[in-house]
Amino acid sequence: MKHMELVETIMKCNRCAACHDVCPTYKISGDEFSVARGRLRLLRMGLENQINLDAEPELERFVNECLLCKACEVNCPSNVPTTQIISDIRARHTAKKGLPLPKRFLYRGFFSNPRRLNLARKLARLYQKSGAQWLIKQAGIMKESNNLMPDMPNFSVRDNLPFVLNEMPEAKHKVAYFLGCSINQFFSNVGIATIKVLQANDCAVIVPELHCCGAPHQSAGDLEEYKRLARYNLDKLSELDVEAIIVDCATCGAILKEYVELFEEETEYREKAVKIKNLLADISSYLLQLGYSHGEKEIACTVTYHDPCHSVRGLKVSDASREILKNIPGISFVEMREADMCCGGAGSYGIFHPDISRKILQRKMNNYQGTGASILVTTCPACMMQLKYGMRTYDISGQVKHLVEILAESYGI
Amino acid sequence: MLNKSLVNSLKQIVGSENVVTGRIPLFTYSYDASLFPGRPDVVVFPTTTEMVCALFHFAAEQGLNVTPRGAGTCLSGGAVASEGGIVISMNKMNRIIDINQVNRTILVEAGVINKSIQAAAEPFGLMFAPDPASLNVSTIGGNIAENAGGIRGVKYGCTKDHVLGLEVVIPSGEVVKTGQLLSISDAQIDLSYFLCGSEGTLGIVTKALLALTPINPEVVTMTAVFNDLGDAGDCVADIIARGVTPTTMEIMDNTLIKAVEDYAKLGLPKDAEALLLLEVDGFSSELKTQVPSIIEAFQKNRAKNYSIAGNEQERQALWKARRSANGALGKLKPSMVVQDVVVPRDRLAAMLRNVSALAKKYGIIIAQLAHAGDGNLHPHLLYDHRVPQEAEVIEHVCDEIFKEALAQGGTLSGEHGIGLEKVKYMPLAFSQESISYMKQLKNAFDPESHFNPGKLLP
Ligand SMILES: Cc1cc2nc3c(=O)[nH]c(=O)nc-3n(C[C@H](O)[C@H](O)[C@H](O)COP(=O)(O)OP(=O)(O)OC[C@H]3O[C@@H](n4cnc5c(N)ncnc54)[C@H](O)[C@@H]3O)c2cc1C
Ligand code: SF4
Ligand code: SF4
Repeated sequence: MKHMELVETIMKCNRCAACHDVCPTYKISGDEFSVARGRLRLLRMGLENQINLDAEPELERFVNECLLCKACEVNCPSNVPTTQIISDIRARHTAKKGLPLPKRFLYRGFFSNPRRLNLARKLARLYQKSGAQWLIKQAGIMKESNNLMPDMPNFSVRDNLPFVLNEMPEAKHKVAYFLGCSINQFFSNVGIATIKVLQANDCAVIVPELHCCGAPHQSAGDLEEYKRLARYNLDKLSELDVEAIIVDCATCGAILKEYVELFEEETEYREKAVKIKNLLADISSYLLQLGYSHGEKEIACTVTYHDPCHSVRGLKVSDASREILKNIPGISFVEMREADMCCGGAGSYGIFHPDISRKILQRKMNNYQGTGASILVTTCPACMMQLKYGMRTYDISGQVKHLVEILAESYGI
Repeated sequence: MLNKSLVNSLKQIVGSENVVTGRIPLFTYSYDASLFPGRPDVVVFPTTTEMVCALFHFAAEQGLNVTPRGAGTCLSGGAVASEGGIVISMNKMNRIIDINQVNRTILVEAGVINKSIQAAAEPFGLMFAPDPASLNVSTIGGNIAENAGGIRGVKYGCTKDHVLGLEVVIPSGEVVKTGQLLSISDAQIDLSYFLCGSEGTLGIVTKALLALTPINPEVVTMTAVFNDLGDAGDCVADIIARGVTPTTMEIMDNTLIKAVEDYAKLGLPKDAEALLLLEVDGFSSELKTQVPSIIEAFQKNRAKNYSIAGNEQERQALWKARRSANGALGKLKPSMVVQDVVVPRDRLAAMLRNVSALAKKYGIIIAQLAHAGDGNLHPHLLYDHRVPQEAEVIEHVCDEIFKEALAQGGTLSGEHGIGLEKVKYMPLAFSQESISYMKQLKNAFDPESHFNPGKLLP
């Protein structure tokens, strides 16, 4: 947004405080500088030159502490687009000062580069297996990323494709699977399950070679890199002849959808983005729309569901996932309190704001324990990482699973 | 800014994690939901009554101003430190201490959010009757200070009707208990009642014993459409005169109906002059006689048509119009002032018409929403803050609305409080004797006038 437009948009906030009710950073702190209303006030003062928008470390901190979870936004009586405003300001900070080194290292160094991310998984696995963890645990940021790191799989989804993908020339449906970085590298079981479930429902699947969706870069305000990745993906995706593009990562899905706004002023890419947005479907909604086959194998356990921010508020999917869960034979479903509250993972948020992230996670875990469920199901790898970390940290004997993992299990595949 | 040693003393009282002195974070405590600014020198978050006492002793020694704060949803500037000093933010003193199903009471700390009280009471089939629209976030301390009322106020009254006793720290640093927290005997001068609505000018409420109310088993929700705004007002007065007390009676005028319809597309009649949303609750035997009586009142007062919700889904649909008001008006003009005057119920029709006439006279947009059952009008005056003349006109029209309300035998504030906003009108609304009596009371509690200065009393 342009300067004036930003000011005007912020002015729509009439300080009603409805955001107190839903903002996770406020819920755990009770501090006015940790809620949309406070953040917006500081930004407005910055934009009106009452304080220096670019040289106030505290202001920057409060802005960066926002999870971009959108909870305030969907609940705001005045429809203030808080996350868009905050993303704009972060982009402005990044454009002026560049990314801080650790973020640059992590995002541009790894997420922008599939080969390096692949190597990183292998190194990480080696490191986990070799018992060298204590060494790296000493350093601050590395310590946090280490805690969050899931158990590294031996092979990525892409390594596995030759064994998983079937030729299905007669299939009724033809879909592309958007294989996101995290699923590919850290949760290969999930990606494989997604492909298998689709195939079991008579979908021929192709898995195009793409770049990272750009979520980490967008969140850090690295607009330039975000756009580069988005353009690449849009070029590739728009060449495909498929009836749907399936995502099993809520974050990738929500970001792909946002490409439309990203290219508001570039007609060519905007058109591509609109086309992709129309083809985009999250796995749950797509299966329901197909009239998918319910699994047969009984899974006798109690499960609950955590709504990823990017699913419930990004993709606007929440009932579909629950419906699929409830359809699985043997499963008893319990709703947990504040199921749609952010888990504090928020991509790499946990790495850069460990204290806040942990407090939010603790609340999430308490809510989970309140249900008595043995499996905590969700649909985003970033949440899975954070929730698994929660299970470990608070010594909770439950499992975290992606919806498709359970579904595949009930298919016996 | 306070010097280091003062800040250290405060940290010793409440703990360093509960003191905010940074220039930037303090800006986020420089507003409430009104337009009045006021930057504190420090914000503290006590978590016990003892801490509050110690803070008062400290403030008295140093001659510092003190302003209490809950969630900061005040619409009249009551929660901002307009003259600097310490803001005591009560929102972290938020435990529910006890709930008693048999006595139907709940004992809470002042920072507990209204919604948490509702949630605690609900499993027992009970509710806390006061339900201000801000109930999801506003604190009970703030509700008491502003004597907050809500949508079901017509039938159930305001906060003060549900307060049984208080624990209050007065500016001298002493702890005072009132009402049933002092003794279950009625033979006392019960200070609870006049602390309610005193807008945090007499002391800080730290705990409250509240009465809970059984939730009635049945609800009927209806709407009626009128060709004339005054008819809707008369209909409300008529319903009450028939001995029926609905929980809710809300009137929306044509400007608001049109805005909501354009915004939310609910199928409202855009040519209607007024929409009345009404809800009655009770046992089904009570409703059986009340509903026909209400329908008769609709007909007698020339309602064009009416509808009754058949199920929860339809009920929510009827409510949706009311709930969309805020968002809808935001689309028309970037800024708005919401007024909050009260007139006797039988003057409602006249007042609604006269406010519409003012809008016409000055060529501005006024959308009217009224908690009609209480005679409480909320004219929403829309304008564009970027056009200086518009803001000026708005201020002038506000003056006229106040004067009109007073002329109708009404008063300045139904539920938003006087705060900073309406202090200047107090001499118009109250006699010199009444004001000076209130000042003597204030003096008895706060002789130095350091406690929430500049608010309520001229
Ligand atoms: C969207 C919206 C809708 C609203 N709807 C209604 C409504 O329907 N009905 C209604 O009555 N009001 C309504 N209000 C006004 C406001 O929400 C109420 O006055 C509410 O009671 C204020 O509570 P708070 O916790 O936000 O208090 P604050 O705004 O923080 O403070 C309000 C006043 O109380 C004092 N105070 C706060 N805590 C204490 C304490 N513990 N002891 C002594 N004094 C204290 C403060 O000094 C201040 O003067 C609305 C406001 C908004 C923004
Ligand atoms: S809910 Fe929206 S309008 Fe209200 S204070 Fe928060 S951001 Fe502002
Ligand atoms: S996006 Fe989430 S964390 Fe950020 S202000 Fe809104 S509710 Fe709070």
